[in-house]
Amino acid sequence: MRPFVRILATLLGLAFAAAGALLALEVGWHWWRPGSAPMLVPWPRWQADLASLGWDAYAVRVGAGVLAAAGLVLVGCALAAGNRAVRLTDPADEVSVSTSPRSLARLVGLTVRAQDNVAGASVTASARRIRVRAKSALETEAELRPRLLATVSALLDEIPLVRRPKVSVVVDSPKDRR
Amino acid sequence: MSRPAAAKALSRSYAGERTLTFLVGLLAFLGGALALAVGSGGLGEFRGRRPLLDPIALDWLGGHATPARIAAIVLGVLLFVLGLRWALRSLRPEPRPDLDLDRTEGAELVVTATAIAGAVQADAEQLDGVSRARVRAVGSRTSPALRITLWLREGTDLKGVWAELDTRVLTRARDSLGLGTLPTAVRLELDTSPAKRVR
Repeated sequence: MRPFVRILATLLGLAFAAAGALLALEVGWHWWRPGSAPMLVPWPRWQADLASLGWDAYAVRVGAGVLAAAGLVLVGCALAAGNRAVRLTDPADEVSVSTSPRSLARLVGLTVRAQDNVAGASVTASARRIRVRAKSALETEAELRPRLLATVSALLDEIPLVRRPKVSVVVDSPKDRR
Repeated sequence: MSRPAAAKALSRSYAGERTLTFLVGLLAFLGGALALAVGSGGLGEFRGRRPLLDPIALDWLGGHATPARIAAIVLGVLLFVLGLRWALRSLRPEPRPDLDLDRTEGAELVVTATAIAGAVQADAEQLDGVSRARVRAVGSRTSPALRITLWLREGTDLKGVWAELDTRVLTRARDSLGLGTLPTAVRLELDTSPAKRVR
């Protein structure tokens, strides 16, 4: 999302620059030579169109809806482009450490998979939350879940994270389905 | 910004881009919503039936032609300059500042960004458990910083790597450059283990 917002900001900047240049040029041109035709933008025709169009026209309503929706999308993109890195405590002044959510998930996944009776696990992690989904053929959820929670918790004690993520564990076991 | 230089060096700042996108999006949403409200008669039935280019507004503009024109031209020039600056700012790659070690006239000493990055990278790759390292200078020439990305092998002790990085790599870099402090951001990545073949 971050490179996308960078491109978006560039395009928005260029659009603003173009619109501003056209506005200044057209207004200046019309001021200097009121009688002559417009330079680039056929604004007298637009003026006539807009003057005949009411606020309650269908096209105006649709246009307004599209504009509002596009605005919401932009706001969403801007909010989604936050930094996702997981901060670790600064070991010294002038040094800061972070890791990627992917690395944290990988670390947790390695630990979980190394446990007995775990056939496989998928982990997603962010700075706030770690979700573990483990598969086991030999133990039920009630047996395995507390053990995995304790393991992940012990692992998080080892890593000096600034903010301790919440851990949720789900165990998928055929023994529970009987 | 009150954030220390080391924290700022962790990643490129997206604050400007995000603010611009957010503000433009917010304005577009508010404008669209207002137009919808007017069109659906939310601000009075009569208001909704009037043309977009309202004769009253046009009359008022015609009555204040000169100030309106000046305002339009100033607005256009302002939009042009600001928009171009935004676009250039977003397109510019993140700077890699060189380090000024000595600014005395006639005895200037500058270490290029690539030289520092290469030296620290070679040191960092010697550490146990580090499979790959990438170092780059970030920040500005007046407040440079280092960004070190370390790829760790599976099963590496995080604290061990950190201690070695501090005592061997960073201390050496500071000593050899003669700097009291060198803000550093470390990004740790865990490498995937090489795939094992099943026989």
